[in-house]
Amino acid sequence: MVLHLGNPGRRISIGLIAMTFVLSVFAGRLVQLQGLDSKVYAAEAARQRVQEERIPARRGSITDVNGYELALTVEAREIFVDPLEVTPAKRDQVAAMLAAELGEPKERIAAEIADTGKRYVPIGTVDPIHAQKVLAHGFKGVGSKHEYRRDYPGGDLAGTLIGFVGDDGGGLSGLELVHDKLLAGRDGQQSIETGRDGQRIPMTRSTRRQPVEGRNVRLTIDRDIQWAAQKAITEQVAATGARTGSVIVMDVQTGQVAAIANAPELNLKDWGKTSAESWVNRAVADVFEPGSTNKVITAAAALESGAVRPETVFTVADDIRCADKVLRDSHPHPTERLTFSGVVATSSNVGTILAAQKVGDAKLHEMLRRFGFGAKPGAGLYREEAGLLPSWQEWSGSQRCTIAYGQGVSVTALQTASVYQTIANGGVRIAPSVVAGTTGADGAFVPAAPATRTRVVGERTAREVSLMLEAAVSAEGTGNLASIDGYRVAGKTGTAMRYDAACQGYCGYTATFAGFAPADKPRLVVLTVIQDPRKGHYGGEIAAPVFKKVMTFALKSRKIPPTGTEPPVVRIRAGE
Amino acid sequence: MVNRVIAAADRSFARRAVGAASPVWRVDGVLAVAVAALAVISVLMVWSSTRTWAPGSTGLVKKHVLNLGVGAALAVAVTAVDHRTVRAYAPLVYAAALLGLILVITPVGAEVNGAHSWIMLGGGFAFQPSEFAKLGLVLMLAMLLAQPAEGGDRPRGPDVVVALVVAAVTMGLVMLQPDFGTTMVLGVITGAALVLSGIRKRWLVLLVLAVAAAGAAVWRLDVLEPYQVARFTAFLDPSTDPRGVGYNSTQSLNAVGSGRLFGKGLFGGGQTMGRFVPEQHTDFVFTVVGEEFGFLGSVTVVMLLGVVLLRGVRIARRCGDRFGTLAAGSIVCWLAFQTIVNVGMTIGIMPITGLPLPFVSYGGTATFANMLAIGLLQAIHLRSRTF
Repeated sequence: MVLHLGNPGRRISIGLIAMTFVLSVFAGRLVQLQGLDSKVYAAEAARQRVQEERIPARRGSITDVNGYELALTVEAREIFVDPLEVTPAKRDQVAAMLAAELGEPKERIAAEIADTGKRYVPIGTVDPIHAQKVLAHGFKGVGSKHEYRRDYPGGDLAGTLIGFVGDDGGGLSGLELVHDKLLAGRDGQQSIETGRDGQRIPMTRSTRRQPVEGRNVRLTIDRDIQWAAQKAITEQVAATGARTGSVIVMDVQTGQVAAIANAPELNLKDWGKTSAESWVNRAVADVFEPGSTNKVITAAAALESGAVRPETVFTVADDIRCADKVLRDSHPHPTERLTFSGVVATSSNVGTILAAQKVGDAKLHEMLRRFGFGAKPGAGLYREEAGLLPSWQEWSGSQRCTIAYGQGVSVTALQTASVYQTIANGGVRIAPSVVAGTTGADGAFVPAAPATRTRVVGERTAREVSLMLEAAVSAEGTGNLASIDGYRVAGKTGTAMRYDAACQGYCGYTATFAGFAPADKPRLVVLTVIQDPRKGHYGGEIAAPVFKKVMTFALKSRKIPPTGTEPPVVRIRAGE
Repeated sequence: MVNRVIAAADRSFARRAVGAASPVWRVDGVLAVAVAALAVISVLMVWSSTRTWAPGSTGLVKKHVLNLGVGAALAVAVTAVDHRTVRAYAPLVYAAALLGLILVITPVGAEVNGAHSWIMLGGGFAFQPSEFAKLGLVLMLAMLLAQPAEGGDRPRGPDVVVALVVAAVTMGLVMLQPDFGTTMVLGVITGAALVLSGIRKRWLVLLVLAVAAAGAAVWRLDVLEPYQVARFTAFLDPSTDPRGVGYNSTQSLNAVGSGRLFGKGLFGGGQTMGRFVPEQHTDFVFTVVGEEFGFLGSVTVVMLLGVVLLRGVRIARRCGDRFGTLAAGSIVCWLAFQTIVNVGMTIGIMPITGLPLPFVSYGGTATFANMLAIGLLQAIHLRSRTF
């Protein structure tokens, strides 16, 4: 520099240094922004831009054994309003239209769409055609969103068995809950990039995971038999003034349940108005003392042990002292000499106790356990109960006698039905089941895993017990009202004292009838339980007619012909 | 380091220029190339940030290319003129600029974004007198301070006073629009011209004190609009109101930061396409560079701007006459101030100010003014060795 202007040259140099310094600071800041901390900024930017959207998977349907839908998912549209899009002048018109179309109070809608702080106000859910009609009014700010809705065309048909889904579409009770994962499938997901104005950014990649549709579950339930069973038990519960009642129809050779009916039954169309108590399937969740239907187990144990034969004669008084209690038959009678068959057919408590004493507590307990007492039946139902089977060492003096005729143990209806399936099936117990299999989107049917089969008693024992049960339905037995013209029917009545927590003791009765047909070639088991009836209380009187109705219908529906054979003559009393 | 690289590049250019008689071959090639490179980047960035919404997608970038073309032609034209001739016309240029500033605050001017800064020319073209006022002030102050009235080697009191009056009138007119950012640029030009003119240290101290006092007065007397105070508060702590005044800053950092090392590629910036950053093709154009070209692109742009400034400094130093030195020095300070404030605001180390990034931001008048300034630098450069 040759200028002698004082110091401008130096001043330029100072400026140069300052500028270089600032630009270096910028470079440093860029290292921090785009290098060291870039992940944070990139993530924050992505969070702003990327919108996750759920693509709901369609829930599978639940059908009966023939494919009739008992629960299905249908397309629906949620009608909503974006209050910002509705001009104040139009609010009243929009509210009036929505009120008329959706049947909601106009004042409520008007109040909600006046709140411009929200962008999405759901008004109601309708079917797609109705939604089109609503949108056809052409009001700005009214829209519809794709949705699914669960529908139960059967109403209360097998209501508690099927159960229902909540507002979020997830199962809340019954099979809807038990098989929720299977039915629900897996929701898909897509993420799209949207700009500041909410519009999709063109040409950006969107990641998408396709939804996996839920599988359809096919039940073993037969819609027609279920309907007949439900009607029969509902009528009888009403006629007898009973608290509740249940009917189970089961296939002898497969253990598959064709009907599981309760009265009263839950109506799935408006489960929201009911209490949680009525969501329970009583046939598997209510525990009661079975009474005389349990005598088949004592009989099977006695025959299996070899201590007693069907024709073994017992001298039966009408009462017997057992520890601190005197136990009686249901009707007073003079001392009789009954065959063991006669004891079962006439349902003598005293005779059954005498037979049980020849078996012994341990062996009787073992037999109860093998018939499935004290364990959940494993049908895969919502809130299945196991009942109560105390170990034999804990039995009280009188309990040692009463358990022989079904007091002092408790079971569910399904457990009792399973006992009769075992006898009918030649002594082989098949775990009860309600699901036949599933089908996927491709329509291919995948059968359920085969049920476990357990031999409980020998075939001969089963056949002998079966003959005794046939005698019980004969004119001389207690279950004659269960007889069906043309068919050979085997069955057993039960009239148990009913424990009631409300009165802290035994108040009222449990009337039951369990049996199968045809007796010599069993195909179907039907069990009827009526809790706390007020008009009549004997199983033979009020439960047997329900059995007869349901069994008659089921035999016809399944096209099961009579065997055409005559039952052998069974000796009831000694010397006859 | 940078200096040495530039010096080497200059030597090689000089070697190639040997034997060429025409002065055109003696222009500052490094400066020209750096500006051209910035212009190319500018076209790409304006295109990227406007294609999702501009009419016909290329509507704005076509206009920008036209602006750059006109600007380049203006630069070439000024280069051809001897800067001493320019000095003679300085009062005229300044008067024209003043006229523009006066017109714009009359009903002739149009209000955009709360400021009366534009004169609409019709056909979609508009003119921003305050950009030309920068150039006018540069020339006027250089002229006034280069030839002290009483002779001697440095301006005396009366010269300084005259210069201050000229500056104050210009700044006052711009403040009436109001345009705070441009006023500050004019202030920087004035300061640069005074400092480089070699005025005494006591004058400098006095001026610094006066500016400080004025600043304090502005702050205390509520001359600033509330949004200006809010911007400053938001700069100090952007998290105070991320959806309000802090929004611009937050969005700017997200865009630049998400570019990372290599960027997302041209037209690949999600933040840019989603239009999260406001005014992205003008004041926040650097965020497009940051997001789509990453750290490498950002540093390249900062370096190119640095090269332009360093070449300007070099021209100012080598110029043999005071007018050239003062004009070149003021131009460098003007461009440096805008660069630093603009880049600094996009990377979150300066408060938000509405100043465009020289050579890169979209904007007709600003492009013309910047290009004219480069032309003037070249003109000074061409004639600095021939005195």
